Amino acid sequence: MTYERGLALGLVLEIALFSLIGWNFFTAGNAGEIVRASAEIGLLALALTPVIVTGGIDLSVGSLLGLCAVVLGVTWRDAGWPMPVAAATAVAAGVVGGGLNAVLVARLGIPPLIVTLGTYSLFRGLAEGVTAGVKNYSDFPETFLFLGQGRIGVVPSQLLVLLAAAAFFWLMIHRMAAGRTLRAIGFAPDGARYAGVPVSRRLAAVYLLSGLCAGVAALLYVARLGQAKADAGTGFELMAITAVILGGTSIFGGRGSIGGTLLGLATLAVLQNGLRLADLPAELAGVVTAALLLAALGANRVLQGRLHR
Amino acid sequence: MKTAWRGWALSVLVLAAGACRGAGEHGQTIALMPKNKGNPYFASCRTGAEEAAKELKVRLLWDGPTETDPAKQNEVVEAWITRGVDAIAVSVENKEAISTVLRKARARGIKVLTWDADAEPDARDYFVNQATPRGIAETLAGHAARLLGGKGEFAVITASLTAANQNEWLRQLRAVLAERYPDMKLVDVRPSDDDRKRAFEETQTLLKVHPEVRVIMAIASPAVPGAAEAVKQSGRSDVRVTGLGLPNDARPYLKDGVLDSAVLWNTKDLGYLTVQAASAVASGTLKPGASSMPAGRLGAVKVEGDQVILGTPFTFTKDNVDQFNF
Repeated sequence: MTYERGLALGLVLEIALFSLIGWNFFTAGNAGEIVRASAEIGLLALALTPVIVTGGIDLSVGSLLGLCAVVLGVTWRDAGWPMPVAAATAVAAGVVGGGLNAVLVARLGIPPLIVTLGTYSLFRGLAEGVTAGVKNYSDFPETFLFLGQGRIGVVPSQLLVLLAAAAFFWLMIHRMAAGRTLRAIGFAPDGARYAGVPVSRRLAAVYLLSGLCAGVAALLYVARLGQAKADAGTGFELMAITAVILGGTSIFGGRGSIGGTLLGLATLAVLQNGLRLADLPAELAGVVTAALLLAALGANRVLQGRLHR
Repeated sequence: MKTAWRGWALSVLVLAAGACRGAGEHGQTIALMPKNKGNPYFASCRTGAEEAAKELKVRLLWDGPTETDPAKQNEVVEAWITRGVDAIAVSVENKEAISTVLRKARARGIKVLTWDADAEPDARDYFVNQATPRGIAETLAGHAARLLGGKGEFAVITASLTAANQNEWLRQLRAVLAERYPDMKLVDVRPSDDDRKRAFEETQTLLKVHPEVRVIMAIASPAVPGAAEAVKQSGRSDVRVTGLGLPNDARPYLKDGVLDSAVLWNTKDLGYLTVQAASAVASGTLKPGASSMPAGRLGAVKVEGDQVILGTPFTFTKDNVDQFNF
């Protein structure tokens, strides 16, 4: 049994359990709510998958989401720009933020953990500085809020964004030659370089994409909550990393899949939602997540061992 | 990768099947949300809420954020809408964000109340208001009058000079003075910027500039211990402090005698009344136009428009402060 199949089985069991003990858990409406609540972290997790596959990490995505949300508020309300322009500027801010990480990691060769720990503080600090930590932008136009609160038929609008991103990253990692080079970088960066892989260009690309996704996630977040404030996305980076690791991507790089990340994300999102609908304390989610993560990684280690020996 | 997709497709199929779990409700379910579950202030509210839930035989759900993620309140309300509850009552952390989802709850036929901190008025049916500015002003003026014997000078340490709540209380305070205590004079209002140290310094200055002041009224919660500490260190036993503050801040100074009293509301009663009001709205006994509602051990409680009023503020003194821990 592969790791992903085991995780999928776990997810099915989880869904069956909450269908039994939760109120109105197994409904189409609730499926939509689960997607809604997890779309932003999902986008971050998708973009983090290639980053982690290269053996890197991006701790700055949650803070960057906050900064992009503030940029959206500032350009739209303070500067009075039209909504589409403001939205594009917010996403551009994400790309610039990701670009800063890319330059520091790929050009200067500073370890990604250190770079993004720095930008984690920097982006949040900028967002708080611009708004003095208290300014709250709201009253966004209905058409924009549709992105976060609307439905197309029964499908929540952010599902389309999430699926598009999933398709893009799946093609990139699993269908394009570049994806294989990412894994090669994760296994052995020097080896990849000697094999003629443009390592720094590839690394720059994954951090740029991570910033881009943080920008798009900021739009979804603001549209869902109807507000942009400097504390947007607090702690999202850890949730996203947890989803990626639970999905079977190795934190040391070299291994990982988009399907796994989506399964990891779904497992966490269903857990949060199911506990609430079962009237169980949501704090339990932390404990169960930890147990799941340890069990899953233990199982993965056993599977890997069997494969390699 | 094929296997990953098969697993993924399987779980999507299971969800898409969309079989609905028919769950029969027994009795009322009332969901209460604090701003923060870990805050002892709200833990104190919860004991009152549970007491009311027991009396009314309703099912009480108590959930809210434990961390600083501002999206959490929304997610909890979303879950309650899906779960299906009769009434939701929220202490609002973030007016703009929560109002959207509260409106959605109302659209689904769930009764929505706010308590402790309000949302936008059209996002809820009732606001359980813990204290009106007039009530606070009357209680504070009453304490000052008792300490001054109805005559003499006093001064106020406020939050910041632009703080909306504090300025409303000051406006009401001046009105109460004009009506009832013409011989009492408010000689100075100084800012503390919600900072204990600043309140300490401003009080020291005040005592020098206005030696005739006999009562310091601190109307921001960090200002209470700040002002009390300054008076204590000055050694002026003829000056007393009163104000609006939290029992844990106030406790040592109340015991010292420097601080005469700290006014707030009874948090247990606030939780109790919120559950009572939520249950009454959900069962249709509290309707628009009502001017009062019966609330168990609190008796008949005043309703003004779309606000349920907890009543006169509560005063912490050295005798009762040990019953509270927040």
